[in-house]
Amino acid sequence: MSSNRTRAARLGRSALDWLEERTSIVSMAEHFLYEPVPSRGRWLYTLGSATLFLITLQFLTGILLLFYYVPTTDHAWDSIYYMMSQVYFGKLIRGIHFWSANALIVVIGLHMMRTFLSGAYKRPREMNWVVGVFLIFIVTFLAFTGYGLRWDQEGFWAWEVGVMIASYTPLIGDWVVTFLLGGDTIGPASLSRLFAIHVWLLPALLAPLIGVHLFLLRKHGEFGSEFEYSERLARLRERRRLEGYAEEEEQ
Amino acid sequence: METRRGPARPVEDGEVITEENVYERPDRPMAFFPGQVVADLTVSAVLLGVVVALSYLVPAPLTEPADLSTTSYVPRPEWFFFFYDQMLMFFPGSLLIPVGGVVIPLLFFLLLLAVPWLDREPGHSLSRRPFAAVVAFLIVLAVVLNMLLTLVRILNFPQS
Repeated sequence: MSSNRTRAARLGRSALDWLEERTSIVSMAEHFLYEPVPSRGRWLYTLGSATLFLITLQFLTGILLLFYYVPTTDHAWDSIYYMMSQVYFGKLIRGIHFWSANALIVVIGLHMMRTFLSGAYKRPREMNWVVGVFLIFIVTFLAFTGYGLRWDQEGFWAWEVGVMIASYTPLIGDWVVTFLLGGDTIGPASLSRLFAIHVWLLPALLAPLIGVHLFLLRKHGEFGSEFEYSERLARLRERRRLEGYAEEEEQ
Repeated sequence: METRRGPARPVEDGEVITEENVYERPDRPMAFFPGQVVADLTVSAVLLGVVVALSYLVPAPLTEPADLSTTSYVPRPEWFFFFYDQMLMFFPGSLLIPVGGVVIPLLFFLLLLAVPWLDREPGHSLSRRPFAAVVAFLIVLAVVLNMLLTLVRILNFPQS
């Protein structure tokens, strides 16, 4: 029995070694898992991970919704109605997509507020704040385009109002409208555009920016920039220098 | 070069800094796993529970199919656009959309991007940044009041 256990453990270790040699996955996991982080503010820091979690939920449920959603003016509404009334777990999947989008906006707002109130955007984290502002902008636009995809009265007319507002953009208003509608007026092409923007364009912008946001977080750590050891290190060097002089004098 | 992350403990009077205590911190740090991971998973689990419960208790809305020929439908913005919607109301006539809908939000967006460079007050804690604290309070107040104004207006819509 015990020899079996030893053999299994040895096999597991050699499998891990094999993986480690080729992918560094073990040392990477150790590095990520055991990094020291502040124990204070532990619950406030969950706002960021909650945002990531909700966005992941959006991606997962969004992919499942694509199994049934039909992005044509004739069938969009019907396909959603079918999903809500006939499809197994359709109500649940669409419900999670809808409610987690709402929760996402609340959580992002709180995350942004926490960052502002703790001055976490200060040097050297300025660029992480900038990326975050772009992220909230993209998420808001995602929520808005999702509203239109329902192709029901509420979503459609809200989208129409949004396009009308966008047409007043200085200098590029007309171009923006053509881009959003696929023509001068709302028609079948508009829903295709809306679909492409919501399902491909914005997520494709969002995903790499989340990567940059996380990379910058990792780069600077969770602590503020004023928390550096320069003063303590300087004192240490000073003490060593003085001790060095003292030793020389003794000789 | 050895680098470590974490808030350094301020040097106290007469404190002898050695190789052992040079990286000391005022609060005890913890390893990311399991301390932070447990907190993150707890919040995520609660959120998942809430959205699953809501998806059955309050199903995602779907009104009647879009009718492109109607002209009388007054669309309702989603709650997170209440603030934006209300801003339009502050600008009368021809300024309504160009200024209230496009120019001011764009300026706000640019201002938001510039926050790290606008806040020159030293330190991180709010007590050392009174100006930032006041600005944050005013912005939150403006957003909440605007949302309430829109809510009142929407409750008086003909459809509801």
